Amino acid sequence: METNTPSWASDTVPSVMEPRERSLEIRFTGSGSEYFRIWIVNLLLSIVTLSLYRPWAKVRRLRYFYANTLVDGHAFDFHGNPWKMLRGYLLVGAMLVCYSVAGQFSATAAMVAILILAVLWPALLRASMQFRLANTSWRGLRFRFNGTLGGAYRGMLPLFVPALAMAAMRFELVDPQHPTMAYIKHIYAVMGLTLLVAPLMWWMFKRYQHDHYALGQWQTRLDIGPGSAYGLALRIFGVSLLSGVVVVVIVAIVGAVAGGVGMLSGLGANKVLFFIVIMVLVLLGYMLALLVPVPYAMASGQNLVWNHTRCDEVSFKSSLRFESMFKLTVKNWALMLLTLGLYYPFAAVSFYRLRVEAIAPQLSGNLDLLQAQGAGVGDASGDAAGDLFGIDIGL
Amino acid sequence: MTGAPSDPTPSALEPEGVAADYFDGRTARAHPVRVHVADRALVIADADGVRQRVPLAALQWPERTRHGARLMHLPDGASLHCRDSLAWDTWSADHAGRRDSVVVRVQQRWKWVMASTLVLLVLVFLGYRHLLPLAARGVVAMIPDSADQAIGETALQSIDENGLMKPTTLSYAQQQSVRDAFARAVARLPAADVPPYELQFRQSAIGPNAFALPGGTIVLTDELYKAVDGDGDILVGVLGHELGHLRHRHGMRMLVQAGVLGAAAGAIYGDFSTLFSQIPVLLGQASYSRAFEHEADVDAVRLMRADGVSPAVMARFFVKVRKAVASAQSASAPRLPHLPIALASHPADEERIRFFEDAARGQ
Repeated sequence: METNTPSWASDTVPSVMEPRERSLEIRFTGSGSEYFRIWIVNLLLSIVTLSLYRPWAKVRRLRYFYANTLVDGHAFDFHGNPWKMLRGYLLVGAMLVCYSVAGQFSATAAMVAILILAVLWPALLRASMQFRLANTSWRGLRFRFNGTLGGAYRGMLPLFVPALAMAAMRFELVDPQHPTMAYIKHIYAVMGLTLLVAPLMWWMFKRYQHDHYALGQWQTRLDIGPGSAYGLALRIFGVSLLSGVVVVVIVAIVGAVAGGVGMLSGLGANKVLFFIVIMVLVLLGYMLALLVPVPYAMASGQNLVWNHTRCDEVSFKSSLRFESMFKLTVKNWALMLLTLGLYYPFAAVSFYRLRVEAIAPQLSGNLDLLQAQGAGVGDASGDAAGDLFGIDIGL
Repeated sequence: MTGAPSDPTPSALEPEGVAADYFDGRTARAHPVRVHVADRALVIADADGVRQRVPLAALQWPERTRHGARLMHLPDGASLHCRDSLAWDTWSADHAGRRDSVVVRVQQRWKWVMASTLVLLVLVFLGYRHLLPLAARGVVAMIPDSADQAIGETALQSIDENGLMKPTTLSYAQQQSVRDAFARAVARLPAADVPPYELQFRQSAIGPNAFALPGGTIVLTDELYKAVDGDGDILVGVLGHELGHLRHRHGMRMLVQAGVLGAAAGAIYGDFSTLFSQIPVLLGQASYSRAFEHEADVDAVRLMRADGVSPAVMARFFVKVRKAVASAQSASAPRLPHLPIALASHPADEERIRFFEDAARGQ
């Protein structure tokens, strides 16, 4: 290797003084039609290789999204090695197979599997975030995730409280055929408890994430308390309740009208048709009920978290509007249904663009003074776990 | 590789070069540079002259896409960023001898993308129609019978626990007559074709029904017994159908197929929405269960023939059950049947009645 070491010494003094505070623009330049082409080829290769190709597909997908995400004119980069990711993917796949097989055999085996998974889960999640950030760079610098292992377990502690209560209650159940009134009351109590701690859980998890993102000498922190999380949860709950009531009324009216028409035309006698109509109505009702709360939760959740994430020289302004999120959700879900899912890559790109372009980092320091701090590289099996369980960190 | 490798001084009119930002990997500072290829090496130069040479063999080239920046990782942790992707692609193809990989070429051509989509749809269809049932059969063949039993016991226990089923109200004599009739018929089949089974009676909250659980338990509801007035011929047909489910291990195959379908759908659409990814599973199961019902009906006919009963009695069965369900529904609020082995939703009753009548004629 005859690589000459460069001598950039003369450049270490920044040549241009940057203004005191400026807003960095985030732009996404990717297109749905191009992602469609990448996605369909990825999908085909994954199916043909019985999913062994997935790590390569993932690298290609991330590289595409990263290379098109420009912050202040500079794109993100992904450095993950697909071979390493394949190892993690196989490990997590084997674990999942054991888990789902155990669940079919007996309740005890399922409990043991859940327990093992619950114990490993925080460690896997941390490894996943470490891997993802360590393999993401901007302006040549790798990101880092500095959360500790202990912090991961502490951050997910509230999750274990209702789970343990649930497990302990199994011993209370002497005769499964005749659960006592007290047992049923306890079940409701645990369910209520879970609902009550859910916002706390979300807050602690978000804090664990947003307190430990790092780039160069920057390290972010999240400035909100659990009160804000409860406020958000209350608003989402209110919106969900309202749209649930509206949808029930709509479905009841449509059902009554359809039922009447069916009776009159004699179609009601066809049980298969009746069954299909009921299924479609239930499904549409379910989607309709989520059509307002989901974009609402996404928009207000993102704004809450990113507006309160900052480090010494950077703060973030997130102004994701519910109206735009709602319109896009309606459009994307409708087209997904109509195209039997083939619209997915277009939907993914447009959601990503809307969400990421709504964030504007406010910079008060000098980018040229940002320096690498020595990197740690996480384990790819954590990344695979995060992927399979559907938990993926936002940018 | 053209150009003038012997000339070390980069000029402003560098013909084959391309402008990029150089990052050293230690600071976030961008160094504007021009890169070109000379002597099988990538030459990185700025206004002050050549800064670095990297052998072409050590380079990781970014893939071509229509949108997005080009980012090249250099071996020492440094990187090059080029926002003018068109200029980069032209230069890398013309001067660095860079060729796209097959995958990238397919991705960049709509013609090939459409072909891929078509192949994908065909594969999904074939896999769903033939490969998955075949694979499930293979997987189930490897699962020991003890697994079936464990699953069946868990299932029966949960059915009993959640109040769907209550202890039977049939008299011992009534139960015994069904057991005897069925055992007599089964004894006429080749022993190798009879899986171990255990007949159980239950009073049910789901109306007239019969179902087989993995491991060999066949449950017959009081409501079904009453709907057919304890007609032994019909009950042999019904139980023969359930025995067919056991012989083909349909319950286990259903579980395996649901697992694989769920995983496949989750892999494709899971990151969009879990709700969405469950739709194919729902639809898939419905059509598989039609095939299973038909297989079980074939077994029922075989058993009835062995027993000297005309399969035509099964036509009576469908009429009677339909009547019983209709009267039950007018008496109380309509309920959708759970585990509808003998009821509406799949292979439309008419289709099955026709099958039994044809079988009776062919006798």
